[in-house]
Amino acid sequence: MKAVRLALAVILVAGIPRAAAAQDAAARLDARVSADVARAVQEIAHDAAERGLPVEPLIQKAIEGGAKRVPAERVIGAVRQLAARLDEARSAERAAGLTAPQPDAIESGAYALNAGMTAQQVSELVRVSQPPYDPAVTLRVAATLTALGVPPAQGLATIEHLIAAGRPPSELLDLPSEVQRGTARGATPAEAAQQLDPQQQGGAVVRGSGQRGHPTPQPPPHPHKP
Amino acid sequence: MTPYHELVKRVLDGELTLADLPAELRAEGEEAVRLLAAVDRAPVRLSPQLDARVMAAVRRHAQSPVRRAWRWVAAPREIELRLRVRPGVVWGGALAAAAALALLLGRPAAPGAAPAAVASVPARDSVFVRFVLYAPSAKQVTVAGTFNQWDQNAAPLIPAGTSGVWTTTLALPVGQHQYAFVVDGRRWVADPAAPAVGDGFGRRNSVVAVTTGARIL
Amino acid sequence: MSGDGATDGDIVRAVLAGDVERYAVLVGRYRDRYARYAARMLGSRDAAEDAVQDALIRAFDRLVDCREPDKFAGWLFLILRNRCFAEQRRRQREGRLLEDGDGAIAGPERSDRAVEERERHHALGRALGHLTPEQRDVFVLKHVEGLSYDEIAQRSGASVASLKMRMHRAYDRLRDLMKEHI
Repeated sequence: MKAVRLALAVILVAGIPRAAAAQDAAARLDARVSADVARAVQEIAHDAAERGLPVEPLIQKAIEGGAKRVPAERVIGAVRQLAARLDEARSAERAAGLTAPQPDAIESGAYALNAGMTAQQVSELVRVSQPPYDPAVTLRVAATLTALGVPPAQGLATIEHLIAAGRPPSELLDLPSEVQRGTARGATPAEAAQQLDPQQQGGAVVRGSGQRGHPTPQPPPHPHKP
Repeated sequence: MTPYHELVKRVLDGELTLADLPAELRAEGEEAVRLLAAVDRAPVRLSPQLDARVMAAVRRHAQSPVRRAWRWVAAPREIELRLRVRPGVVWGGALAAAAALALLLGRPAAPGAAPAAVASVPARDSVFVRFVLYAPSAKQVTVAGTFNQWDQNAAPLIPAGTSGVWTTTLALPVGQHQYAFVVDGRRWVADPAAPAVGDGFGRRNSVVAVTTGARIL
Repeated sequence: MSGDGATDGDIVRAVLAGDVERYAVLVGRYRDRYARYAARMLGSRDAAEDAVQDALIRAFDRLVDCREPDKFAGWLFLILRNRCFAEQRRRQREGRLLEDGDGAIAGPERSDRAVEERERHHALGRALGHLTPEQRDVFVLKHVEGLSYDEIAQRSGASVASLKMRMHRAYDRLRDLMKEHI
């Protein structure tokens, strides 16, 4: 691990705030990944930090690869790819008018890209996510819908229509679980999402219960208390 | 202090009348009745603004995301239970209503039903999340993810009786997390009941996002 | 507020389904019903108002827990009762007794007789403050609210025998405290 510590010393000289993160990164990679991986990931992370991208997801990805016993080259490749995605997400968000995207917005954007949305779709969503809609949140919702199997364009449209209808941001957060309830009843993800689109349903409401027209029966005892 | 006689107490209780008391207890009985007469039974009227204050608070609380999460969890769901056991395959499940665990047989490659449900908020900035996996032939199940450095020994699941269901509850900090189940120490399995993304290594991870307000995505 | 035709159960179900505004009907129905109980338990109308307000809000927050929506009244009462006990425990920890009652409870007096009566009411109110919360609870439920021992047992989960035991101790204590007034 000497190589890693030398690299750390170099980073320390380069700049204090990033140094703290780098030191932390080194400690966390130590003993979780091989020396090769640690060295390569440190470099990638250093680069990313210099460009103002969040470093945490990269470290996490490396640790994940180590835990899953993935060969070194594959881990390094995956971390590089993630760094590229973060960069792409940030560009897409800048193109949409966010001058200085925050780390969580960048991460959400990368998540969206990873889930299967295009950079253009990311830009579009960011563009319509004006206050009180937080792009980090709307991106995450869109990405989650895509990850649930809703076609990206449709998920995007549903969110945009809800925003256009002035629905509260908290209602957007309900979308993924509502889609899952729909699929639990046998709908495809696309069908389930369609039910939730106000422009498709003529005013369908995203709600937790009672939207089927029969009275809400007796609520059961809390199943969720740990 | 002289306690009331038993019979006088029964008068106070309404089981006897004064007339039922022997002569020597009559005076004590009358004193007891005077005591009860000192009870103020006048109705109490509270201020007229009470209704407005209560409804103002009610409207605020109705907006809170925690309340929406609770309502969703408690509302009954129409979920079809179909159970087929296929050797070598594990199915992710989710907690549904009442005492039953809803085990979903989704179509292959289709996600299952409700997500790991939100519970109460344990401490600032973290939320209890329950993880469930149906793996009847597993000897050991753990969950590993970004919240525990992907350490496959950090969070074991416990079998819930003999149903084949494994479960655990973790306090997750607010934020986005990826995770997967590790079965028998070597098989990494995504949770079919949760949104899934490629892990960059050829497999899939499950995603859970915990927001302030205790909502789970 | 309309909705008089609706049962408590109907309204609870409507609120659970999302119609929050209808909760106001339940507030209107029950705001005063248990006010007297709370006032006797806590010793003042102000304290009662706080307790009733809190109980109504808490009942809304926990509405999903109301197993029998048609028995909302009883369920609300239990929430209020717990709130009263909690308040009393808090005061005990702080070393305070019951607040000494307020004159706002009775109406304006017209005669000496009425003044005397009012003084006795006050005296008993103060005396109630010296009982334990459990003793006070059973006394108020039976002798102010007019419930039977069976009804109290149902609501509180205590047995009739233990309720009577508590009550009989309360009688003796009150006798002692009310010496000068009766």
